[in-house]
Amino acid sequence: MTHDLVLVLGALAASAVETVEAVTIVLALGVTRGWRSPLLGAGAAVATLAAIVAALGPALALIPIDTLRLVVGSLLLVFGLQWLRKAILRASGFKAVHDEDKIYAEEVAQAREAGRSAGRVDGYAFAISFKSVLLEGLEIAFIVLTLGASQGSTLLAAVGALIGVVGVVAVAVVVRRPLSRVPENQLAFAVGVMLTAFGIFWAGEGAGADWPGGDSALLGLIAVTAAWALAFVVVLRQRRAPAPESAT
Amino acid sequence: MRRVIDAIVDFIVGDDVWVAVGVASAIGLTAALDRLGADPWWLLPAAVPAIVVVSLLRATRR
Repeated sequence: MTHDLVLVLGALAASAVETVEAVTIVLALGVTRGWRSPLLGAGAAVATLAAIVAALGPALALIPIDTLRLVVGSLLLVFGLQWLRKAILRASGFKAVHDEDKIYAEEVAQAREAGRSAGRVDGYAFAISFKSVLLEGLEIAFIVLTLGASQGSTLLAAVGALIGVVGVVAVAVVVRRPLSRVPENQLAFAVGVMLTAFGIFWAGEGAGADWPGGDSALLGLIAVTAAWALAFVVVLRQRRAPAPESAT
Repeated sequence: MRRVIDAIVDFIVGDDVWVAVGVASAIGLTAALDRLGADPWWLLPAAVPAIVVVSLLRATRR
């Protein structure tokens, strides 16, 4: 039950972060160049993603569970560490934080400068929208498939991700502004912690480790991972902070 | 084909390929110790923060 809740929350947070990023670009395109082509591009990307998930999802079910957990756990761990490493660097000031207002302003400026092709579909708006939604969506699909497959509940992971996507899109439709108030960087940190902990758990299990406490070890791994990640942020912040001048 | 493989590797591995190398080594060692009869559950929880420390040091020294 706790595992299921963590699975849903992880997929929800990851999909919310990625959807915020995609929505910012679609919003910028829609406001500057009209809504038709960006929405067509986003729709085409969602259809492409659905085809990818429909093809890969059942294929994963054919792989023996121990092999699946080893392979998927390893992928999840490497992918999760990518998120966590970036989140630690952002939180400690070594990497620029994700600023949706800034990204929105840059996208609007580029969309205004780009030429417009003849025809009913604006090629620029369609292509940029398609690419953005596809790339962010691929991350969501990867997380849903890997988290879901390793836990044996792809449906639950998909439900969590869907709640995240629908929630963010609904808010974006209402406010029609970049969702800069969503604590995106903090969410990305939490997702990095969860993906890393799930990756350690399933890759370890796949490699033959017997976790003390069985499945409940996952909660311990989440707590320990969060603790060392936060400690790294503190240490890096201290390294970055200028040394105080001596009072002479 | 090469570009597709590069894109997939970049998508999963990201900026620091040594993180993936470290993770693969730690998982391989876990499997090897398990074959030898040890119970190496502690190895990944210990190795992963060490791998991240090295990666962060490399990233912040640039």
